[in-house]
Amino acid sequence: MIKIDNLNFSYSKHRVLFKNISMQLSNGHIYGLLGKNGAGKSTLLKNLAGLVYAQSGKIDVLGFDPADRQPAMLQQLCFIPEEFHLPAIKIDSYVKANAPFYPNFNHQYFADLLKEFDIPVAQKLIDMSYGQKKKVIISFGLATNAKLVIMDEPTNGLDIPSKAQFRKIMASALTEDRCIIISTHQVRDLDNLIDTVIMLDENKIALKASVEEITNKLCFKRLKEIDETVIYAEPSLAGYHAVLANYHQEDSKLDMELLFNAVLAEKNKLKPIFN
Amino acid sequence: MNNTFNLHRFNLLLKRQWLEFGKIFLITLVVAVGVFVAFYGFTLFPLEGPISARRLNFREPLFIGFGFLFISVIASSYFAHLGQKSKAVIDLMIPASTFEKFLTGVFFTSILSILSFILLFSVTDWAFITYIQAQFKTVSSDHTEPIAYFFTKNKVSAFAPLYIVPFTVTSIFLLGSIYFNRFHYIKTAISVMIFSGIWSYIVVKATEKLLAGKMPINNTGNNGKNSMEWLIFAILSALTLVVWVITYVRLKEKEV
Repeated sequence: MIKIDNLNFSYSKHRVLFKNISMQLSNGHIYGLLGKNGAGKSTLLKNLAGLVYAQSGKIDVLGFDPADRQPAMLQQLCFIPEEFHLPAIKIDSYVKANAPFYPNFNHQYFADLLKEFDIPVAQKLIDMSYGQKKKVIISFGLATNAKLVIMDEPTNGLDIPSKAQFRKIMASALTEDRCIIISTHQVRDLDNLIDTVIMLDENKIALKASVEEITNKLCFKRLKEIDETVIYAEPSLAGYHAVLANYHQEDSKLDMELLFNAVLAEKNKLKPIFN
Repeated sequence: MNNTFNLHRFNLLLKRQWLEFGKIFLITLVVAVGVFVAFYGFTLFPLEGPISARRLNFREPLFIGFGFLFISVIASSYFAHLGQKSKAVIDLMIPASTFEKFLTGVFFTSILSILSFILLFSVTDWAFITYIQAQFKTVSSDHTEPIAYFFTKNKVSAFAPLYIVPFTVTSIFLLGSIYFNRFHYIKTAISVMIFSGIWSYIVVKATEKLLAGKMPINNTGNNGKNSMEWLIFAILSALTLVVWVITYVRLKEKEV
């Protein structure tokens, strides 16, 4: 579905973001894109959507070059930006003006999502809170039935119940022919939702692995003391939260935050494990 | 699927753009009507005769000056929102081609705005003139001096380039609206002034050099008016097309 070959991107000579990035993303997955502030999460998503142009390299999205912004590609692409502006109109007017552009738009599904998110449909979009607007735009995006769903920090501005609703809706929105990419710095929001982790660090992809692969190769444990087998550990009240190589094929639950910090702090120890 | 132009998609885009841009457009129309009424009202009322055609001399500067302001302001605001990331993302991701998005811009700024200005001006002018004529026919025959109608008095066809000038103006301000991220109108106006200044300087200096020490030998009284008129028309048309092409390319290359 998405193929990136030797992507190089920079905003200026002094601010290089990606150096020869290559990867493939396929349908039927929810990818979690993680990285520090300024690592280039949003920029990578914008490259995929054709909102910025790379200096070199090739991107193939659904068989199109996203830089061309062809209607046939845009119909199959739903991009939920972190910052967005909605016009001063009611939801039904917004849908009337925008939905006809998407041949697979499902009005009933949209109404169901609005109901689930508890959105006041009679209110003007401009009078809604940021969180409510975000829920509207997420609902609209999912109702387009686009094959590629790209979300940049979708949980920003959502309250705690809405985050749980979001996870539930996203899990049910995944189909075999759909690919969902979610970027966030709030890794706990993606718990139990994503099936593949992509981490950006120092102009490269520091890690791209499925949750299954990660938990097969790494073990996330609470330890009272740490030894040389520990790859990375963080002190806690009861001892340490640690990441170890999973030599004994132990079952453990992926701690995304711990993995994130481990990749940033101990990338040299983790690299041979995932290569 | 045609990824360059599709009439159905273009129609959808016109409707969509009207939702956002239409409000600004309608407000500008209301302001325009207000300005027209104010000019006609303050100049002509109270109605005391005799009414001479001279009292209506404000119509030409009003039509040209305010017309320029009206169409340039509308053109300058059309793509202005693309300077804000939060607005630009949604618009650029709408499944329509860049060409359709560009054509929609040309339709609103170069066709709809010019036509609506001419229509509003004509209707206001016709309403006031008709009212004045009716008043003086009933009051006294001494006061009914002939009042020439605006468009019969001022023949645009007398100087053909005038037909293309509104399109040149809107094309330049439309380009400014996508080229600059902030203060579109003032930055476009300053750029036009600088460019025109440099261009005029070059033309004047070049003409001085070319014609130094020469004198006309075939003075027919026309001084090549017709050929110069069409040359200016062709230059303005070419300039308008070039500016539109640059606008299209800027829209195509717009990044967020």
